[in-house]
Amino acid sequence: MPRISQHVMRRRAVVAETRHLLFSVGPGVIWIILFLVLPSAYLMGVAFMTNGPYGLPQMPLTLEAFERLAGFGFLGWSPGNIYTLLRSLWQTLLSTTLVVMVAYPIAYYITTCRERWRPIMLLAVVVPSWTNQVIRTFGWMNLLAPGTPLSELAEGLGLIAPNMGLYPSNFAVTLGLVYNFLPFMVLPLYAAFEKLDHAQVEAAQDLYASPLGAFRHAVFPQTLPGLLAGIVLVAIPAFGMYVIPELLGGGKGMMLGNLVATQFSGGSNWPLGAAGAILMLIATFFGLFAMRRIGKRLGGGEEVVI
Amino acid sequence: MSNRMSAELAEHSDTSPTDQEVATRKASSIELHSLHKRFGADAVALDGVDLSIHAGEFFTLLGPSGCGKTTLLRILAGLEAPDQGTLMVGDKELTEVPPHRRSVNTVFQSYALFPHLSVRDNLAFGLKMRGLPAAERDARVDEIAAFIKLGDLVERRVDQLSGGQRQRIALARALVCEPDVLLLDEPLSALDAGLRSQLQVELQRLQKRLGMTFVFVTHDQDEAMVMSDRIAVLDSGNIQQVGAPSEVYERPANAFVARFMGHDNLFPILARDGLRVQSDLGWLELHKHAGQGDAGDCLLVRPETLEIGDVVPEGYNRLAGVVQERLYRGSRIEYVLEVNGQSLMVVASNLGQQVHQAGDAVTISVCPEDLVTVAA
Amino acid sequence: MNKRLWRRGLSAFWWLTLFFLYLPLAVVVLFSFNSANSSASLAGFSLRWYQRLLGNEQILSAFANSMVLAVVSSLVALGIGCLIGYGMYRHRHRKLGWLIVLIYLPIVLPDIVFGISEMAFFVQIHEATGWLRPGLGTMIIAHVTFQIPFVALIVYSRFVGLDPTLFEAAKDLYATPFKRVQHFMLPTIKPALISAFFLSFTLSIDDFVISFFTAGPESATLPIYIWGAIKKGVSPEINAIASLMIGAVALAALLSLIFNRRRPA
Repeated sequence: MPRISQHVMRRRAVVAETRHLLFSVGPGVIWIILFLVLPSAYLMGVAFMTNGPYGLPQMPLTLEAFERLAGFGFLGWSPGNIYTLLRSLWQTLLSTTLVVMVAYPIAYYITTCRERWRPIMLLAVVVPSWTNQVIRTFGWMNLLAPGTPLSELAEGLGLIAPNMGLYPSNFAVTLGLVYNFLPFMVLPLYAAFEKLDHAQVEAAQDLYASPLGAFRHAVFPQTLPGLLAGIVLVAIPAFGMYVIPELLGGGKGMMLGNLVATQFSGGSNWPLGAAGAILMLIATFFGLFAMRRIGKRLGGGEEVVI
Repeated sequence: MSNRMSAELAEHSDTSPTDQEVATRKASSIELHSLHKRFGADAVALDGVDLSIHAGEFFTLLGPSGCGKTTLLRILAGLEAPDQGTLMVGDKELTEVPPHRRSVNTVFQSYALFPHLSVRDNLAFGLKMRGLPAAERDARVDEIAAFIKLGDLVERRVDQLSGGQRQRIALARALVCEPDVLLLDEPLSALDAGLRSQLQVELQRLQKRLGMTFVFVTHDQDEAMVMSDRIAVLDSGNIQQVGAPSEVYERPANAFVARFMGHDNLFPILARDGLRVQSDLGWLELHKHAGQGDAGDCLLVRPETLEIGDVVPEGYNRLAGVVQERLYRGSRIEYVLEVNGQSLMVVASNLGQQVHQAGDAVTISVCPEDLVTVAA
Repeated sequence: MNKRLWRRGLSAFWWLTLFFLYLPLAVVVLFSFNSANSSASLAGFSLRWYQRLLGNEQILSAFANSMVLAVVSSLVALGIGCLIGYGMYRHRHRKLGWLIVLIYLPIVLPDIVFGISEMAFFVQIHEATGWLRPGLGTMIIAHVTFQIPFVALIVYSRFVGLDPTLFEAAKDLYATPFKRVQHFMLPTIKPALISAFFLSFTLSIDDFVISFFTAGPESATLPIYIWGAIKKGVSPEINAIASLMIGAVALAALLSLIFNRRRPA
């Protein structure tokens, strides 16, 4: 009988497998390349082009957009963009810290409750984030506007000037960010706490005696992967946030996302907007990379899943 | 098929003429020729396997993990393609036939019952894929359920079944398709010991009643011996020995097979002089059928053939030893003796004879006909 | 002693956080029934803002746009993402790092970068060729792009959770490749497909930034309409439409609770 050589059979198998891979993964890969990778590449190109008369990019290639981003304009240097950048960093840092401080006890509390209640409690935390971002932010506008009970309380305490209201302000932006991202921190932390064996905590308390020691040596390291995942989920989108500063921040609460968006929606300067987008991308990938490194270093084998 | 099952239901005797007749019509032999399979660059799973499995026999592939037995089974099922070699089932060459076109079915180690289907739909899956009408599928599922005595399990959900029940459903799911050959991939390994030995007997009886060719994979030599008509012992991709359980156990082809079958008393032969061999136990007299093993081979002394007692019958070898350890196992008593500085295992049936203590000096009789030489 | 106090504190903190989470939504719903045209003081109960909604053609068309966008994009993403998820599973032993990077790209890319790069790209393509005119079509393309990874990952993890011998059992039991898809794969991943569809749908409804930048003049969705109304000056009508959307979310939450309750674990 005909005997097919080992070589031919193996090659045939490899060809079949590769074709299978292309047919299954191909459409999605093409889609993402066509509608995301190419547009992003185009945007990066735009950053190196000259600003045309209608804000549209033109040749020749130049670094003008990056100079503008750093504040150099026709009228000399102005610190506006640098302030915006620093404000974005500060708001990200502040809101992420606050989110961690709220989410940590909440996630822990949920794991200490009865098992049948836990999914409901998690759902209760997550449901507000199912509503549209614009609506949620609009809710805060209603709450913080001048003349509302919260604003009047703040006025009465002398925290704000009369008739100013709590919004628009940087405070409102921070509040909006914390509100928006809280669920994203609770979920991964909850997952980390749930994996934690409570007998271990008791053993640690037995060994380290002080609750703080037990927390530092037994609890915290084990929730670290969840914490890092949460930070990635919160800090990266917070840095690029557009809606919340636009609605709650006013002119003095602008963040990088608004700076970028303005250059496109107002049609004023695409290359400048693109340069801002590149900055945002660099920050994003640097953040992801840093978190992965920290996760690998401290996470003790368990890799942080982003 | 339906005829066969009905006949089975009506007449449970092994010698029913209908059984015999159907069995010879249905069962298929298997011929493997020069099968090679490697994974990656240097992991050789099969290194030129030639094997004939007779129609209607219960054939076991036995070996340690990684010996290639599972790869061989998967090649039979069509789930793996050999790099080289041919596979015949009956008079059909199946080497390149995909699994869904082979009349070969498998009982998987994990049972692989479809979680999205009821037990009934699991049983009917193969028939449905073959395009049988619903009415006929139902009838055949009911038939097999009665045949394997599944009772009301058929109407349950898969996640309501115990391990033993899953095993039976997986078996029924494969049998209902009436394959030429049934493959069983360690189907009992996940069960506890009691259930396991019960199912071993049941499975063996079932195979005899159906007369179907069964190829069974296991790493457990006791299981293999209880169930099989013939056993193939595999190691590192090669067949070491094929034979009936008694042959493989009593006359292992080499030291690997001997050790794998559980023999401890294996001694290198130092010299041979006619029917006498020298090992660390000293010179011993052999029978002429003991094998041609010479210096470099091994001498196998089966523990259950040794007898402790001062009276050594005429023509027997005599050894002197000291009891090191005694293990009381109820039906038998195991002694570890020291003979000429070597450990020698002796198993004595517990017949109420004198029980020796550690430290006792004893005499051991060895019948020459019970000694075998084994290739290294 | 100390421990009980600690738990009480935690419990109080939990209720406080819940209050914080639901307060803005509650305020929106509350003011939607306000008879006065104010977001600072309540005057009395009224349904007039809801009545106004029904007469507002722009809102009705925005609602229709939102629905078409969410359903169509979710279905397309379901098809494409399901294939990727299966491909990732089938070829999981290969080195597919590049694929993982590509799939995570839409997830990690900041919304605003995602939105403007597609907008800039679509505008240029449109000027050059006349294709990809900003509108529902471009929005659907953009939404599918960010939905694909979620579908792929859900489907992939469902496959990974299956006993791999099930695939072999299906082959062994005479299922041809086509029948394996029809009778084994699709039925087994059905729960994953359902949840992937609902997640995609939610992501689409929840999105504002990407829609905003890829939308055309006639393809405003509800969030875009609300955004415009807020920017023009708050009208209590927005409270009403926002309340309806909150109601829809509450309903979805209730359904998911019931659905999860009925299935054990």
